[in-house]
Amino acid sequence: MAEVKNSTDNSCRVKLKTLPHSQDLKWPMLWWIGMEKLYRVLPWKKTAWTCAAFPIELMWIYDIFPDHPENMATVAAARKQSQRLIEHAESMGFSRDLCSYCKTNIGAYDTGIKKTLGGISKPDIVVCTNAICDTHWKWFQIMADKMNVPFFMFDIPKWVSGTDEKTLEGNIDYVVDQFYDLMAFIEKHTGKKMSEKRLNKVLAKSTELSNLWREIFEHRKAVPSPYSGAETSAAFFPLVVLPGVQVGINFFKKILADIKTLTARGEGTMPAGKEKYRVMWEGIPFWYRMRFMYDLAQQGVVIAFEPYTYSFAPVKKKCLTMEETLRDVAKLIMDTPYAYNLERRIENFEKWIDEYKLDGVILHENMSCRPSSAGMVDLAEAIRKDKGIPVLILQCDMNDPRAYSEGQIKTRVEGFIELMEAKKK
Amino acid sequence: MKKIAYFDSSHEMPLEMIMAAGFTPYKILGDVHQSNDPADKYLSSFFCPAARSWLTEALAHSQDWAGIIFAQGCNATNRHYDIWKVHVQTPFLHWFGAPLLDSASAKKFYRVELQRLISHLENQFDIKITSEKIKEAIGKSNEIKKKLQRLSALRAQKDIPNRDYLAAVIKCLTSPVDEVVTWLDSEITAWNSKPAFPVDKKRFLLTGGDITYVEWMDTLEDCGIRIVRDDLSVGERFFATLIPDANDPLDALMEYYMNIPRPATRPTIQKRLDYLYQALGETKVDGVLSQNVKFCEPYAYDSVPVNNALKDRGYKVIHLERDFSPAADQQLANRLAAFVEMMEVGNNG
Repeated sequence: MAEVKNSTDNSCRVKLKTLPHSQDLKWPMLWWIGMEKLYRVLPWKKTAWTCAAFPIELMWIYDIFPDHPENMATVAAARKQSQRLIEHAESMGFSRDLCSYCKTNIGAYDTGIKKTLGGISKPDIVVCTNAICDTHWKWFQIMADKMNVPFFMFDIPKWVSGTDEKTLEGNIDYVVDQFYDLMAFIEKHTGKKMSEKRLNKVLAKSTELSNLWREIFEHRKAVPSPYSGAETSAAFFPLVVLPGVQVGINFFKKILADIKTLTARGEGTMPAGKEKYRVMWEGIPFWYRMRFMYDLAQQGVVIAFEPYTYSFAPVKKKCLTMEETLRDVAKLIMDTPYAYNLERRIENFEKWIDEYKLDGVILHENMSCRPSSAGMVDLAEAIRKDKGIPVLILQCDMNDPRAYSEGQIKTRVEGFIELMEAKKK
Repeated sequence: MKKIAYFDSSHEMPLEMIMAAGFTPYKILGDVHQSNDPADKYLSSFFCPAARSWLTEALAHSQDWAGIIFAQGCNATNRHYDIWKVHVQTPFLHWFGAPLLDSASAKKFYRVELQRLISHLENQFDIKITSEKIKEAIGKSNEIKKKLQRLSALRAQKDIPNRDYLAAVIKCLTSPVDEVVTWLDSEITAWNSKPAFPVDKKRFLLTGGDITYVEWMDTLEDCGIRIVRDDLSVGERFFATLIPDANDPLDALMEYYMNIPRPATRPTIQKRLDYLYQALGETKVDGVLSQNVKFCEPYAYDSVPVNNALKDRGYKVIHLERDFSPAADQQLANRLAAFVEMMEVGNNG
């Protein structure tokens, strides 16, 4: 704790090689930005707004560029623009208690802010799901109406605690039926048709991208951790918008090769001997203050696992028919770790705590994401009881800097670290 | 007759199934006079205070109920189910996954969910829910809806305090069905004998989230506002339309529940507006009061496009975000009173 208390003393500051793959990440990002420009210039190309838990691969299958308001909202936060955009949306009447991604997007669209600062352009169609939250469809519908753009929503049944296999099969049937509704919607509004050949090709690449990310996570089990949450939070970008295209695969291969080299040498993301506490971070990061993760590192804390980025890389089955493929995708949409029900959350968190040899868990009780924040008290209690490690519930917000209270968060994190230290003795 | 309680953020629970199973449907509405401390052990204060109040009620009274059914409504009903499953003592807890859409796929899924509910009730209580029993329940449900329609229409003609209307709807949602049918007859008679609509009151349509306690209606009364129409689930949404006749009662329920006036938890905003336009066309009002309880996301989202659309049509609209409290909020009351005052001088602000 001496290092913590004297964190202003630069002599003991941990020197981190921040974002080691930031140069490598530039190419997938530039590719994505370039593609958007191309898709907007060529008259036969189309663009869509999509959201988390929507099967983005479908857009690539249809040769539709998937723009991503949440992704752009994180860009706005990282570029310190989110607060003014949120306040702009609030000036339009949207409540302070509503999702900060949504308000960032509304503000970005309404003010016409530049793409490099988190701006976003009008698409040809808006498609979304309610797999993560109702906010997605409320927000997307409001914006689709505002932009006068056709809107499609996947209604994803809830996989609540105790859901049996028979019910689950009925839920999958409903989602599969909606795939056909989506195909009809896309054909009607873009003139594009489903191609089974292209579906197989895109899904094969998407599976490869997922598998690479999961392999990266396998290596993250090593002590010291070769790759932290600070790094994955940026590097997982291809999983958000590029599943099904080659450019992300090349990027992940590079990361994996570097991680393998690190682990072979017994090295980690932090300098030798500096990794003291391995923690899980649950929830969306504070995009406007990614330095938080580096502040943790100063105190010997590495985020060794986070369900959030892991959620984007599910295990995809090799399917023989289109129907089988659609059933698998339907199940994956319902089965995202970020939206696990309480029972599955506890079961999986406890498994990950063992696998990643974790000393503590930080739960981000995100005021912009009530579904993910519900049940955190029970989750924390179960982990403390079953695993005997400290759990910190940190109430804040992913994109609204007004929710971040420097002093309070620092004090609570220090207390959490003291508990982990006490457990180690 | 024992009650089966249901958690329903709008009007999604096919309560005719509860009736057909031989139970009294009881809509959990919480108690604004009780502290939410019991629920707050499991849910942070930035969750819907009404939903927290429902959990508080269930923690205290679930042993009085034969079981609990959750009908999918807003975000609150999703993961809260998991919390209830851990902490609320009940022999029967069921998730009814009412679809959000009204497409052919959604209708097919709605029937699957109805069948699953029937099976679960039959297995749990060792009963048989026949088509005849469901049809009988539909008949009673429609009878209540028709009487509520008559009662509701009197709001624009007679001197009916806001709290009386809300209390009547709450009674219909929480009391034994046969008792309600008789009581509504006497209430219609009583309301018919009331004096004419008071000249010093302004006629309003109330929209937004559900009001579940009469004290808030009293605040409106004190500000000179009389609610003559609404689109609330604890209100007109519950009785605006009747369950249609159909050979198969499951088809009838499916058609009914997928076509009731839309709440903010169901797409689309236009469909919600359609009912508001219809109500405003049928009943002349002085203004529209839009409101939502703090932290209620669906209605907070809707409030911007819905209220803008109403204003574009020339309606005088005020929007409020309220706390979940029986105490009169003087700041809100001042805003309402000022709004009414501006109407009187012909300026809608």
